[in-house]
Amino acid sequence: MAKCIAIVEDEAAIRENYVAAFTREGYRVDAYEARQPALEAFAARLPDLVVIDVNLKNDVEGGFELCRDLRSRAADLPIIFLTARDSEFDAVSGLRLGADDYLTKDISLPHLMARIAALFRRMDAMSKPQSAENRISRGDLDIDTDRMSISWQDQAVGLTLTEFWLVHAMARYPGHVKNRQQLMDAAQAVLDDNTITSHIKRIRRKFVAIDEKFEAIETVYGMGYRWLSD
Amino acid sequence: MTLKRQLLFVSLLTLILPWAGCEFIRETELALRASQQQILAGTAQVVANSMSRYAEEFPERAESFYRVDDSLYGHPLETAPNIDGYFDDWPLDESSLRSLVGEDSIDVITGVAGDFLYLFVKVEDKNVVYANAGSLVPIEGSQPADRISFVSTNPPYLEERFWFAAEAPGPVVTMLPNAFGFEPEPTIRAHWQDVPGGYQLEARIPRNRLGTHLGVIVENAASPTGQSAQRASFTLSTPGPFVTPSDDLAAIAKSVVPPGMRLIVTDTAGWRIAAVGDMQTEKPSDTTPVSTWLRFAYNAVIEPGKKPALADPDPGGRERQAYVEAALNGQRLAAWFSSTDSGRAVVAVAEPVTSSNGMIGAVIVQQGSDAILSLTNRGLARLMNVTITAMLVVAAVLLGYATVLSRRIRRLSVAAENALESNHLHVDLPSSDSGDEIGDLSRSFGFVLGQLGDYNEYLRTLASKLSHELRTPLAIVTSSLDNLEHEDLSESAVGYTARAKDGADRLRKILSAMSEASRVEELMKNAEVEKFDLATVVESTVTAYRDVYADREFSFEHDGASFPASGSPELLTQMLDKLVDNAVSFSSSDDEIEIALSSANRETCLSVSNPGPPLPERLRTQMFDSMVSMRPHEDNKHLGLGLYVAKLIADGHNGSIKADNIEGGVRFTVVLPGG
Repeated sequence: MAKCIAIVEDEAAIRENYVAAFTREGYRVDAYEARQPALEAFAARLPDLVVIDVNLKNDVEGGFELCRDLRSRAADLPIIFLTARDSEFDAVSGLRLGADDYLTKDISLPHLMARIAALFRRMDAMSKPQSAENRISRGDLDIDTDRMSISWQDQAVGLTLTEFWLVHAMARYPGHVKNRQQLMDAAQAVLDDNTITSHIKRIRRKFVAIDEKFEAIETVYGMGYRWLSD
Repeated sequence: MTLKRQLLFVSLLTLILPWAGCEFIRETELALRASQQQILAGTAQVVANSMSRYAEEFPERAESFYRVDDSLYGHPLETAPNIDGYFDDWPLDESSLRSLVGEDSIDVITGVAGDFLYLFVKVEDKNVVYANAGSLVPIEGSQPADRISFVSTNPPYLEERFWFAAEAPGPVVTMLPNAFGFEPEPTIRAHWQDVPGGYQLEARIPRNRLGTHLGVIVENAASPTGQSAQRASFTLSTPGPFVTPSDDLAAIAKSVVPPGMRLIVTDTAGWRIAAVGDMQTEKPSDTTPVSTWLRFAYNAVIEPGKKPALADPDPGGRERQAYVEAALNGQRLAAWFSSTDSGRAVVAVAEPVTSSNGMIGAVIVQQGSDAILSLTNRGLARLMNVTITAMLVVAAVLLGYATVLSRRIRRLSVAAENALESNHLHVDLPSSDSGDEIGDLSRSFGFVLGQLGDYNEYLRTLASKLSHELRTPLAIVTSSLDNLEHEDLSESAVGYTARAKDGADRLRKILSAMSEASRVEELMKNAEVEKFDLATVVESTVTAYRDVYADREFSFEHDGASFPASGSPELLTQMLDKLVDNAVSFSSSDDEIEIALSSANRETCLSVSNPGPPLPERLRTQMFDSMVSMRPHEDNKHLGLGLYVAKLIADGHNGSIKADNIEGGVRFTVVLPGG
């Protein structure tokens, strides 16, 4: 049965484009232009994935509200913010509300599709038993590529999809410097220096929260980042 | 010229005050002198009139063929000198001696005391030839000898001569002819005295033996056998009239001279025939002490007179001052003699005395005075003081005012410059609440700076606002194009779509660059401060640049082992990216871009230099502002945000950034506080 994606977007043209793209990929799409109709529909039946714009017409923070409501009802429901607001503050707020990803609207449709597909894959992997072959282990680091989850010293690190891909890209070949383009390709997104810097900072912070001595990600100034194995 | 100097210059105009004061004083002084001289001239006229009534007391007018020098002047002697051959017991000064014209010096003087005439002659003679007993008088067969003859005559009668010759120094006997020859004349006494380089003769002759015309002849013999030369006190064959002050005239003069004045009466030749009266030398009753400097100032302003000593009776007996000679020619002149030392002056007026037979002499009236008349005028002195004080006060006030004004203006300009430099344009400028023109200026400045600040702020936020607003329509375009790719498109439509995607992608990059500044600001706010070694960071970055910009050479120099810094290394790297990007775009292929680190005074200095065109002066201050680009117009990838971002990062690290033209290129320097 086709997965159901709900899209909440006030800008009709974008909404229609996304609906067309999702439909073409074989998803079932429900489109809403405001928070209220979306909430009413979700009350009847939850979709498999939700794409939300933060700014919904006059409802400036409507997307955040919607995310909070949804998260309170379905802890595992993948939620993606897709917005024109690119400030660090908004991104942090959105992720803190439990969104799986925070994307700006300049992401290309193929990139978006790849992410959505990845999120669904992860959902599916969660319901299957863990298989050892899809695991990468680098010292304290364990990567489950199926479930797209990472643990450090046997503790799960809650990373977003972008963050996971960044860590995965670096840790697969420890000691190799990954430049911006390589990281962008891995993360299926267009990222500028500052966004990458922010992502790496957030990733480090999440690791440091588990292990204060975490120093595995090294900045090679002017070139990129690399994963240091012991 | 600074405002202060200008105002100081203007304040020089107050020098007109003392100048006007000086002019005023000069005028007053001249007027006062003129009036004093006029009063004295009036007095002199009265005196001259009184004297003209005693015309018979004046000596008869000398025959016109006598020259003035032909006369001898009999100085009135208060005490009779001893006849000893010396002059020092004469109650006269040596300057009274009259020199005869000639090669060797011969000085002659005659004086009158009681019934005697005294004669003193001083002769310079290296070879004194004494007479022998037979040649005391120059008779037939007598030897030549040094001899002095006193000639007396009563024209038109024959002259009589008294010879003084000596056989040896000492008393000299005068031989006078009698019926049988010569016999000593006991009433005439004389003394011959040898002195170094010559001899002196002093003689006393009863006046009743003498006529009206007197003269002296000095015979100088070269040797007892040789020739002798004669020199006389007169030029003609007979002597001129003898002039001596008359007691009667003195008595008359005494009766007419006003108190406090000196009266000198001369004959027509200027010989003094009476001198009476004393000038008062007492100070004015109102003795206001006059400061020395004021007196000095006055002296500088007022034309000083001749020396007061010149007003005194001439020691030789003949008054030869110009004003006296003018009077003797029938003109009336006044003279002013003043002394800067004593502060005293003499006013003198000469007036001809005329009788029915014409001019018979002249009177000279002299009066003592304060040297500077206007000084005795208290009001005038006070006026002068006040004027000078006023000038000094005005100059001082103007100078102070100029200082205050220029300081205010300077403070305003410094504040405006600081505001411009620090980019805090909404500031309170000094003097903005004062009501004068500087206040107006300050308010205008403040207004203009404020406007500029608003404009800068608008520019600063314009980029990020614009990028934000454009993102949604861009998303529509890109998502539509993405969808379009999945449609069945003709070959040409695929090309169009690809081009449209390219364009959209470029647009996306531009928008991303436009919002970079605001994201950097955001990052800086949230950035954790890290301690790191800047040299390591730059070293690694430069290595990366060598790969990225393969057609440029990069050099990295640093003078120390480590450069501890604090802040965000990522942001500083980004800043260096912007500077290097800038350096690359303004240099040409294979140019060397120099990156250097140095530290001084606990500050770290990071510089990026590139060869290339110099910075236009016009943009020097604005180049770090948002959306200011120096690049040529065809290069439209750049929006003029790179250096703005670099400045944001430098400022965020409490540092500063500047750009300078160097030899053949440009250098950007970032100064950061040491870690």
